[in-house]
Amino acid sequence: MSTLEAWREYLCKACGYIYNERDGDVDSGLQPGTRFEDIPEDWYCPICGVTKADFVLVEETRLGALSPRSSSSPSLTRNHCSSNRSSKRKYDVVIVGGGTAAWKIVEVLRATSQEISIAMVSQCEADRYDKPLLSIAMARNLSLSGLVKETGAAAALRFELTLLSNTTAISIDPSHQVLRTTLGSIHYQHLVIAQGAQSVLPTHLPAEYCWRINHLNQYVGFRVALGSSPRRVLVIGAGLIGSELTNDLALAGHDVILVDIAPSPLARLLTQTEQLDALLKAWEPLPIEFLGQTEVLGVKRASVKGYDVLLSHDLCLTIDEIVVATGLKTCDRLANSAALAWDNGIVVDPTTLVTSAMGIYALGDCISIAGETSRFIEPIARQARTISSQIAGEGLIPYQSQPVPIRIKTTSMPLTVK
Amino acid sequence: MKQFEAGKESLLGLVRSIAQGDLSRSVQAIDQQGLYPESVLRQLAAVGGMSAHLRAPHGFNDFGLSIQSIAEVARVCGSTGFMMWCQAVCGLYLQEASSPALHGTPLSLHVSGERLGGTALSNPMKTYAKIESFMLKAVPVEGGYRVTGSLPWVSNLGPDHYCGAIASIAHESGSRELMFLLRCDAQGVTLKECPSFSGMEGTATFALHLKDCFVPAQEVIAEPARPLIKKIRAAFVMLQCGMAAGVIQGAIDSMWVVEDQLGHVNRYLEDRPDALQEERDAWLVRILKLAQTPFDDSDAFFIQVLDARAHGAELSLRAAQSALLHQGARGYLMSSDVQRRVRESHFVAIVTPAIKHLRSEMARLSQETMPA
Repeated sequence: MSTLEAWREYLCKACGYIYNERDGDVDSGLQPGTRFEDIPEDWYCPICGVTKADFVLVEETRLGALSPRSSSSPSLTRNHCSSNRSSKRKYDVVIVGGGTAAWKIVEVLRATSQEISIAMVSQCEADRYDKPLLSIAMARNLSLSGLVKETGAAAALRFELTLLSNTTAISIDPSHQVLRTTLGSIHYQHLVIAQGAQSVLPTHLPAEYCWRINHLNQYVGFRVALGSSPRRVLVIGAGLIGSELTNDLALAGHDVILVDIAPSPLARLLTQTEQLDALLKAWEPLPIEFLGQTEVLGVKRASVKGYDVLLSHDLCLTIDEIVVATGLKTCDRLANSAALAWDNGIVVDPTTLVTSAMGIYALGDCISIAGETSRFIEPIARQARTISSQIAGEGLIPYQSQPVPIRIKTTSMPLTVK
Repeated sequence: MKQFEAGKESLLGLVRSIAQGDLSRSVQAIDQQGLYPESVLRQLAAVGGMSAHLRAPHGFNDFGLSIQSIAEVARVCGSTGFMMWCQAVCGLYLQEASSPALHGTPLSLHVSGERLGGTALSNPMKTYAKIESFMLKAVPVEGGYRVTGSLPWVSNLGPDHYCGAIASIAHESGSRELMFLLRCDAQGVTLKECPSFSGMEGTATFALHLKDCFVPAQEVIAEPARPLIKKIRAAFVMLQCGMAAGVIQGAIDSMWVVEDQLGHVNRYLEDRPDALQEERDAWLVRILKLAQTPFDDSDAFFIQVLDARAHGAELSLRAAQSALLHQGARGYLMSSDVQRRVRESHFVAIVTPAIKHLRSEMARLSQETMPA
């Protein structure tokens, strides 16, 4: 029996039983001090019955378990919670979302009352950042770490709210005022949905090949993939986001091919030909190639690196990275679970922003008024005030939907459309 | 083939009479002595209690009815309700098998209860959810495969039983799996007794050891396995809700039993029977609606099923706990139904997919896929 080496522990992958060489397993005939390698092959786990082959050395496993909490682990930053006599988690206001609209409603509510208990359920860390900066960060030479103004955890402490980060809101039970999440159920008095929207990916484009940039984490992933040397980037969709990203990538020295089925960039936004001409002129010296009236037919991995992209007109390109910017869509799962009226987004009353269910409000990118969505920053603060006025019982500050002037952040030739 | 004794309308009544008759007389022995209720299972099969979800002529293509049937039994005995689920999903594997040989006699004998079987998909389901790795390995050989490896804790097994199992296929480019009917009496298969569990005794649960076990081509359920798993994953999970529905109802029943004597103090408790009944019924309505489209293979639908299953597990825990508080000392007797049901509710919460797996899988499926 060798005692020179330290005793080791082996973990049963199936049930978690730990075989300790020092102790052996006397019940099955393994004397204390039996080294794992000396255990007969037909020995099996005394708890669950799997064989020796399904054991792993504990040190390796434990290192994994003890390594620092990965940033995407669900976590709870708990502040005060107006729990009733039961152990239920119950809050005056529960907010779904961790973006601009979610933080705006927090800001406005806290300005009204320090007493209201608030919980926020965010699918990410809920870090606060200015989303419009994602369109101009490269040209402005902004560092990626500098994009976060305040971490979600710090903001949760400052606003005294409970943050359930990296937690997905799964369903709503309006009759019991319960939000079900991947971190358990939360009871609410008022529910505010600020879930935002997701980029639409045409079904024939594989998600694992195509970036969509509608969130800081996605943007950071894309920038890390780009690296520091100039790359060849295909941007699919020449709407607002696609054109802004194209502009920013080109100013940062990347070769950009911008593709759209429309004949010109920003076709739906730019109605005056002078604006389009000015933009195209500003883009002339930049490494931008616009392919209008062109469709992307398919994408596959290239033999060495990057992707081979097949386009209409028998065009074939080899590309380093692909960005898809073909529009946004709100996930309808939460709304469906509560049978909320839906028309291209969560239908809200145009004056009160109440959804079709009492006590449930919605704001930001996820709502629709008269079937129209509005995915701009400006209305959000006004929407937040309207909702807050009702939750705080101050008397309704009615919301007025109004046309938003659109600033197109193509920094080589910024444009405003009314 | 053997005709069912029950039509669709009378099925639940027949199942209920078996559950509240023969089964209720055996519950103590099942829980305390680990009695395997084989004859009750065969009776339940014979009336069609575990095959209503199968297509005609074996069933009525009605998943909701199978869920309710399992609930009637789990209301009396969680162990038997669980084995009904084992038998029910195993029947689904046979019905969906790519090998036509499994559609004939094996399926008929299974549906009639002359043969019984289970499901060894805990490890593969967790592997597909990126929680574990495959414990069985298959090597293609002339006329079939040779499978080696071991699996912990597979229920509703016996010397002449079988179960649906999945093995990863070695020496192939890319990952690919074999789903097959694993017969307990096949050469190279050993059943190993498990230690006592805190509850759910009598479920004929064994560890399985396979050493170069030959699986003939006609016993292949699917190869590759993933398309079939994608098709049946929602059905697999939603059928488990029958177990939860029964455990919850049994707990509520126990609260009413003491209401006359103890209602004056029980009214100070949370989770009173009327409120739980209302929540349970609303939850069951949701399940039965999902059960109308069991083969919807979209992630969005699957998330709804996972959520409903998680809700059932949470409600089982609350209901069983509350039943114990309602019954007080009499519920603390080792012989009490309530005491047993607390342990059954724990099982509903930890059996694959456990509450934590359900939440982890919902989180994973809610993420947008991006380039690596």
